[in-house]
Amino acid sequence: MTKENDNYDRLVRMLRNSRPDLFRPENIENEVIKRIQSRNQSSGMFSGFIDALFGWVYIGWVRRSLIGVSVLLVAIFVYQQAFIIRQVNNISKQVVIIGSESSSVSSSALDKRLALYRLTVRLSPDREIRISESRLEELLDSYDDLQVKYKDLLRIIEEDPELKSYIENRLKEDKEYKPDI
Amino acid sequence: MVLAIAASCNEPETVVTNIVHADGTVTRRIEMKNFENKFEVSDLQVPFDSTWTITDSLEISREGDTIWVKRAEKLFSGVDEINLSYLADSGANKEIKRHAEFSRKFRWFNTEYRFSEIIDKKMSYGYPVKNFLSEDELKWFYSPGSFTDEKLNGADSLRFRAFNDTVDKKIEEWYVKSLVSEWIGEFTKLTGDSADNGMGFEALKQREDEFAAIVLKNSEHFDSLWVEGALFREFLGETNSVRYKTEADSASVLAADHFWVSFSDYTLRTVMPGKLTGTNGFADSSGVLLWPVSSDYFLTEQYEMFSESKVSNLWAWICSGIFVLFVGLGIIIRKKGKG
Repeated sequence: MTKENDNYDRLVRMLRNSRPDLFRPENIENEVIKRIQSRNQSSGMFSGFIDALFGWVYIGWVRRSLIGVSVLLVAIFVYQQAFIIRQVNNISKQVVIIGSESSSVSSSALDKRLALYRLTVRLSPDREIRISESRLEELLDSYDDLQVKYKDLLRIIEEDPELKSYIENRLKEDKEYKPDI
Repeated sequence: MVLAIAASCNEPETVVTNIVHADGTVTRRIEMKNFENKFEVSDLQVPFDSTWTITDSLEISREGDTIWVKRAEKLFSGVDEINLSYLADSGANKEIKRHAEFSRKFRWFNTEYRFSEIIDKKMSYGYPVKNFLSEDELKWFYSPGSFTDEKLNGADSLRFRAFNDTVDKKIEEWYVKSLVSEWIGEFTKLTGDSADNGMGFEALKQREDEFAAIVLKNSEHFDSLWVEGALFREFLGETNSVRYKTEADSASVLAADHFWVSFSDYTLRTVMPGKLTGTNGFADSSGVLLWPVSSDYFLTEQYEMFSESKVSNLWAWICSGIFVLFVGLGIIIRKKGKG
């Protein structure tokens, strides 16, 4: 072992002493120095940028202000969205009309028109008349008559549960019936 | 003499649609349907003129009837232009004061929009209908005809018919009380509230229910009794009815003029930008807001058909998100630096 060790040491010594024959070694030295310097420089620029961007975190009042604004923004956002959701839910509870819209005068509107007429028709003598008064009286009388009969009919139906269910079923059937045309 | 029943024969079935844009412009569409090809300006519910894009067509209804359809469309630069067209209206509803309002409020994350069409009330001294009807009855009262007709003819129709009768009875009471109140108001205005012998405003107001009861009691022959002055004699007494005959007659004509509104019904629809957040209207089968427009609705109160919506400002969401992220990162960096 001692001999082997001696040979090894001698070889290492020989290698250390036999320097490579470099062509312009100062160029290599300069290149190495340049590369090390540029590495240090780029890392310094990045940390400088981060320092400049987040420098405010070390200034107490700026930090507190920006955190305050952030909290306020989040609170406003949450409040506004919650408010909108509540409003949208309320709207969806509103009555939805099935079927197409209609501006035609419904039967109840006609009732009202006639009631209005009954109350006011003779009050404005200067306005135009387009049918004879007697025919109008006839119309109103028949309307009254019909209304009395209708109320009687409703009363009779209400008093008779069998009749009531029969009529309701018939009305339902009429509604469901579609003529095969 | 008024005869709206006859006058209503020529009026087309009309639907007005306002498509409100985020910049405040409004596309207005009018669809008029009639059994005859007669669309006289004097019969039309809403104004339009030659500056609109107009198309005429013929359609066959489900019942097999031929229907003439006139469609008109125009882009309005804003509600001011719509209001000008209402001012220049010479149609069936020219006596009614109508106007539109639009507002836009910037709320950072969202922008709020509000569009409304408003019809001014006709009576100065009438009572609000809500004083006479319950919440459910009010809902029924303001519901479109298609909705109430469906209920009246559908399942459980008897219950709805009885309910409808109750509403009608209350409406009649509202009519009478408002008419009496209007008469008292106009009468005291004409006499300058200087009439004595229990004919001052306060004294008459205290007896308002009494007069309304007289009118209701005689509702079967109301018109003839009113013209003959019998109701006034019963209410005012023989002496006062002779003494204040001129003022009483003039007040009755004025009250009737305010009460009897010459108006042709139609349907108003509105489409808002963004998400709908508020309205007092109804939604039709296509999800568009609609309001029936009938004379009863603006008899004693202003009738406002409003809709509100919100549009999200995406750029504000992004800016705010980046800002909150930036502040959060700053806090993390500070904590790491400390550690």
